[in-house]
Amino acid sequence: MRATKEAEPQAAKMRRGSHRPRDSVRRRSWSGRRTRNGLLFVSPWVIGFLLFFAYPFFATIYYSFTNFDGTTAKWIGLTNFINLFHDPLFRTSLFNTFFYTVFELPLSTAAALGLALLLNMDVKGRAVYRTIFYIPSIVPLVASCIIFVWMFNPATGIVNDLLIGAHLPAPGWFFSIAWSKPSFILLGLWGVGQPMVIYLAGLQSIPAEMYEVAALDGAGPWQRLRFIILPMLSPVILFNVILQLVACFSYFTQVQVIENGDIGGPGTSTWMYVQYLYQQAFEYLKLGYSSAMAFFLFVISAIVMVLLFRSSSRWVYYASER
Amino acid sequence: MRLAVNGRTLHKVVAGLGKHAVLLVVTVVLGFPLLWMVLTSLKSNYQSLHIPPVWWPHPILWRNYPQMIHAVAFYRFVLNTLMYAGLTIVGVCISSSLVAYGFSRIRWRGRDFLFQVMVSTMLIPFFATLIPLFVMYRHFHMVGWYLPLVVPTFLGSSVFSSFLLRQFFMTIPQSVSDAARMDGANELTIFSRVILRMAKPALATVILFQFIYCWNDYLGPLIYINTQTWYPISLGLYFILGTYTTNWPWVMAAATAATLPIIVLFFFTQRTFIAGIAIQGTGAKG
Repeated sequence: MRATKEAEPQAAKMRRGSHRPRDSVRRRSWSGRRTRNGLLFVSPWVIGFLLFFAYPFFATIYYSFTNFDGTTAKWIGLTNFINLFHDPLFRTSLFNTFFYTVFELPLSTAAALGLALLLNMDVKGRAVYRTIFYIPSIVPLVASCIIFVWMFNPATGIVNDLLIGAHLPAPGWFFSIAWSKPSFILLGLWGVGQPMVIYLAGLQSIPAEMYEVAALDGAGPWQRLRFIILPMLSPVILFNVILQLVACFSYFTQVQVIENGDIGGPGTSTWMYVQYLYQQAFEYLKLGYSSAMAFFLFVISAIVMVLLFRSSSRWVYYASER
Repeated sequence: MRLAVNGRTLHKVVAGLGKHAVLLVVTVVLGFPLLWMVLTSLKSNYQSLHIPPVWWPHPILWRNYPQMIHAVAFYRFVLNTLMYAGLTIVGVCISSSLVAYGFSRIRWRGRDFLFQVMVSTMLIPFFATLIPLFVMYRHFHMVGWYLPLVVPTFLGSSVFSSFLLRQFFMTIPQSVSDAARMDGANELTIFSRVILRMAKPALATVILFQFIYCWNDYLGPLIYINTQTWYPISLGLYFILGTYTTNWPWVMAAATAATLPIIVLFFFTQRTFIAGIAIQGTGAKG
C-alpha cells in the first residue's frame, strides 16, 4: 500500500539537486517538461478518476439529500438519513455485515496464516500442496456458492450425511437462521488461497539467521511465532486485513447466489448492507435512499480504515525503518 | 553412536510422516468440494438426490455435459465472457502501462501524492459510487451491454494493474532510461521501445489477472447486462442454478465447465500467477 516510500530517496536527491548552482531558467523548463510528460502519461487515470470516481462520489453525497427516482432529484434535506436510522432492515443489515466481518476477519487471517505456516515446512512435494491449497480461491465465486449450497443441503447434502454418520447434529446450514451466517463464514474460509500465498511469500523472505539466533536463545516454536514470525509478517497482515475489510464491506455475491429464492433469508439473517442497498436502488428505484446508504457506507469504511492505520503504528513493524 | 544416528533418522522420518499426514488431511478437506462437484456432475438426477448419498456415479453419465451445454447455450456464455475479457484486457494493457510509467519512470512534482490518491481509491467500497455511475450510463444509453464495464478500463480503472506494473517498472534501473535519453529518445519512445519490452512478464501477469477477474465477475454484469443472450459465465451459472433447481447434475456440470478452464489455466501459468501475487504483497512493505 505504502510503496511510494521507495521513491523517497529519489525525491530527496532531486531536492538536493536543486541547490546546485545551475541555470535556473533552464532548470525550471526542464522540470516543467517532466511534469508535463508525467501528467500526460497518467492522464488516462486522471480523466477516469474525475469521470468514474470523483463525479459519482460527490453525486452520491448530493443524491443522498434528495428524493431521486433516476430522472428528477428533489431536495429533502436529512429525511433519507432520518428514515434510515428508523429502518429496522437497515439496522439488521448493518449488524449482519458487522457480525460477518468480526468473525470472518480473524478466522480467515488465522486460516491463511496457518496454511502458509504448514506450506513453509520442509517437506517433499511442497509445491503440489501449495497448488492444491490455492485452487479453491480461483474457483469462480458463483461456482463455489453452488458447490457449497449443494454440499450443505440440509436434506440431501453430503455434509449432513457425514455428520449423521458420526452421530453429530445435522443443522440446516444456509437455510436455518442460527446457522446461515456461520455457513457463509465457512464458504469464505474455503477461499483463503490469496492471502495464504502472500503470507507464504512473506514467510520465505524471513532470513534463516533470525531463526538460528532465536534457537540459540532457546526459543521454542511458540516463541518463534510470537517474536519473529508475527512481527516480521505484520506489514503483510495489515495489507491482507485491509483487502479483507474492503471485501467484507461489499459482501454481496454469495448471499445473492445462495439465498436466491429468498434474498436475505432465512428470516433476515443474511441481509447484508450492500444487499439491501442494491435492492433499494435497483429493484425499488429509491435512488436517493440508497445513495444515503452508500454515503453512510463510505463514512463507516473511512472511519474503520483510519482507525486501522492509526493502530498500525503500534503493531506493524517495518524492518526498513530502523 | 550408531544407534543415536539411527534414532535421529527415525525421529526425522516420523516427523516427516506427521507433516505429510497434516498436509494430506488439509488437502482432502480443501479438495473435497471440487471432487464432489465433478462426481455429482456425472450422476443421474435420481442418484444425485438419493439418501444416503451415492458416492460413485454409476453409470458415469458424460452426456450430462453436452445436454446441459445444448439446453442453455453454454457456449454463448463462454463467448460473451471471452469478449468481455478480451476488450478489457486491451484497455487495461494500454492505460495501466501508460499510467504506471508516469508514476514510476518520470520524476515530477505531485507524482507521489497523485499515486497515493490512486491507491487509496482501491479502499473505497464499489457501492459508494455505483448509483450515479448507473444513472450516468443509463443517460448515455450504455446500459444493457458491456460498455460500462469496458470503457473505464481504457481510463485506468484497474488500479490494481497500474499498481502492479508500477512496482515492476520501479525495479528497472534508471540507467536504462538515461541511456536511451542520451540517444535522443523521447519519453514515448523509451516507454514503447524500451520499458514495455522489458515488462513482458509483468504484462503477462496483468493479462492473466484481468482474464480471471472477468471470468469471475458477477456484480458488474449483474448490474449492466440484462439480456440472457449477453450473459457472461457468472450470470449464466446463476441462471442455470435458478432454472434447473431440480437437476443438480446439470447445475454441477455447468459449475465444472466454468471452473475447469480456470484450473487448467492456473496449472500452465502457475509461476506468473504466484509471482503476481507476491508483487502485490510487496506493496505491503513500507
